Amino acid sequence: MTQPAITFAGRDRAAVVQELRRLMPGMTELRTAFAFGLPALDSCLPEGGLPCGALHEIVPGSHATSAALGFIAALLAHIESPPPGHPSGVGVGREKLFFVLPAYGLRDHGRLYGHGLRALGLDPARLILVETARRNDTLWAIEEALRSGAPAAVAGIIDKLDLKLSQRLHLAAVDCGLPLFLLRPAHDLESSAAATRWRIDTAEAARDRFGLVIRPRWHVSLERCRNGRPGDWIVEYDHVAHRFSLAAALADPAHACRANQTNKAADRKVHCA
Amino acid sequence: MLAAQTKQTKQPTEKCIAPERPFVLAVASAGGPRIAALNEAAEAAGLAAGEPLADARAKAGFLQVRAVDPTADDAALRRLTLWATRYTPTASPCDEANGADGFFLDVEGASHLFGGEEKLVADLAARLYRHFGLPARLAVADTAGAAWAASRFHAQNPCILPPGRQAEALAPLPVEALRLAPDTCATLRRLGFKTVGALLDKPRAPFAARFSAELLRRLDQALGRIDEPLVPIVPPPVYHSLRYLVEPVVTQDAVVALASRLMQTLTHVLTRDDVGARVLKLSLFRVDGEVKTLDIALTLPTRSMPHVARLMALKLESAAATDDAGFGFEAVGLAVTRAEPMPARQTELTSAGLEDRTERCAALIDKLQQRLGPSSVRHFEAVASHIPERAEMLAVVNGAALQSPPPEVAREAQVDSPARPLLLLPHAEPAEDVMALVPEGPPRRFRWRGVTYEIEHAEGPERIAAEWWRSPALTRDYYVVEDSGGHRFWLFREGLFGRETKKADWFVHGLFA
Repeated sequence: MTQPAITFAGRDRAAVVQELRRLMPGMTELRTAFAFGLPALDSCLPEGGLPCGALHEIVPGSHATSAALGFIAALLAHIESPPPGHPSGVGVGREKLFFVLPAYGLRDHGRLYGHGLRALGLDPARLILVETARRNDTLWAIEEALRSGAPAAVAGIIDKLDLKLSQRLHLAAVDCGLPLFLLRPAHDLESSAAATRWRIDTAEAARDRFGLVIRPRWHVSLERCRNGRPGDWIVEYDHVAHRFSLAAALADPAHACRANQTNKAADRKVHCA
Repeated sequence: MLAAQTKQTKQPTEKCIAPERPFVLAVASAGGPRIAALNEAAEAAGLAAGEPLADARAKAGFLQVRAVDPTADDAALRRLTLWATRYTPTASPCDEANGADGFFLDVEGASHLFGGEEKLVADLAARLYRHFGLPARLAVADTAGAAWAASRFHAQNPCILPPGRQAEALAPLPVEALRLAPDTCATLRRLGFKTVGALLDKPRAPFAARFSAELLRRLDQALGRIDEPLVPIVPPPVYHSLRYLVEPVVTQDAVVALASRLMQTLTHVLTRDDVGARVLKLSLFRVDGEVKTLDIALTLPTRSMPHVARLMALKLESAAATDDAGFGFEAVGLAVTRAEPMPARQTELTSAGLEDRTERCAALIDKLQQRLGPSSVRHFEAVASHIPERAEMLAVVNGAALQSPPPEVAREAQVDSPARPLLLLPHAEPAEDVMALVPEGPPRRFRWRGVTYEIEHAEGPERIAAEWWRSPALTRDYYVVEDSGGHRFWLFREGLFGRETKKADWFVHGLFA
């Protein structure tokens, strides 16, 4: 950062404060919501984005645990990237992210792979994995991580979450202003205090004209959203730009046709922007 | 240096043994069992160590005999030495060459805390007798060798040799006082050297020529001409603070409160030297002589009293299930066993400073590690290997890992890398009923975990050869495949068809997001 000479003489207080704010980006920067950058999606969310200090539940569809985890990784990478108006990104994007993994959580699906996270645009060096043996430890670790104020976001996997526990975790997230993403299984979904609940299903990836995968796609449905509206989209994620986009503009009509066939569930209407 | 020789006859633990009657420990030897150790009653009956057991039985009439248990002896001596760290941090149990029946304490700079060497020795003797029932022989001297000799062979007990007078004090003692091998002692005696004094003013060259180097080394060590390094039972702390209590404490809260007060005293010293604690050791001295130690490792050096107190509380909480305080702890010691430089720095005006975040992160990791175990908090570490399962390992987070590289470096690396799955199966699982073009075509259909997937798209192969310098393995051809439902898998065919294998096997190795 350059060191501009500050002269306070002959300036009013507001100008000085303005100047100080400009010099110290850390002080003013208090984000309350993370926008996806997609009007169709952001309009369904309160304050035009994903609330920052809140509990968000991610529920995988059938055989879609890896897709749901991918969505969490993409969200983590997305909120980690500096906002467009941010001057230089000083101090942003270097904070650690905590991922609380119970020993039983991913047993059937292997383990998180750092090179795969990197392929989704999330620097694995920034992720700290916390392994727990019991559910109580998992909840404790999540809450400690939130309350410490050290990480930029906390993610976790949990096998069962009731209303009381979710309230507690949600309050911890609200108090600290940190997003908490919890992956919970699709069976026995009790009501919870989470701000949003997302259901993630697989979708055919975006391909280039040679048929190679260029961007992963997910069928994302916002099932519950406090102060917002539910919705249903096919979202694709660009790992280099940390950007979400809607998979509406399918170049190949045959692809679009197939995508519709696979997601032909009548109750899910695919919104296209 | 203080040497304590504890009588080898342990307090008999079994009920059926009467301590006031002759009792010996026997060890098997070439000519039948011999006495290894004996109690006072047995000594009074005229027995001596090394005597054949059969003779001893004949002499004493009634004799209680048990076999020697060297492992238990060792453990007991270690426990006793650990207990003795209440006097000084540098305590060392005697090794085999020193008889393995006592311990050395380096009381230099510690004796004044007890009001001088006499008072320290008296206190030690009293406590050894009271807590452990051990009639100990104690000696204080300038060197470990002289203290050892005086504790065993000097007429006085306890015996405190004046500084610089080892030669005079040792002169009347027998040559065995020099810690020599039995046959060396026998040879010396045969030659007429019965006391240490007889050796002192003799020319060295003939001894060096006729005896092993041990003789002169031991002599020099006893007289302080050469150093004798001792191996302390616990690594000597860099900073140490100890508090004796008038009334023993039992509760966890009290221990934590004491520990934080000890940390407070340490903080001043640490700040003065610009260092922070990386490893702390809390020693709890129980009233009955047991010592409990808790090790606390920290991710980044710290001087923060509240942080250490919180970690102590967590650690004690997890240890409470297994350990009990008994009748309470009479002394509590806190030692910094590893200190690292921690330069003073100005606190920033903005609370969102990066260093501040790093510190908070380290504090969080410390806390998680205390409750969940030291290896529970890990991070990814890339390994230079092309084999996917070897290309990465999970390493325990340390301070260096917290200072992550700037994001630009990381971002460059990710643009042009081959496709890697988000989830890697711990072991590649065989895919069944694979329909694929032979020899080297992509798969069209496979069954995995009972579900059949029709493949719509396949990308590949990415050929990864085995690392021949390790165990022999087959080449793998990896494909990224997507089924009609949008599930993406990482499959590989093992072995080059026709060259390495007759029948290609397919495996599922990972799941893409």
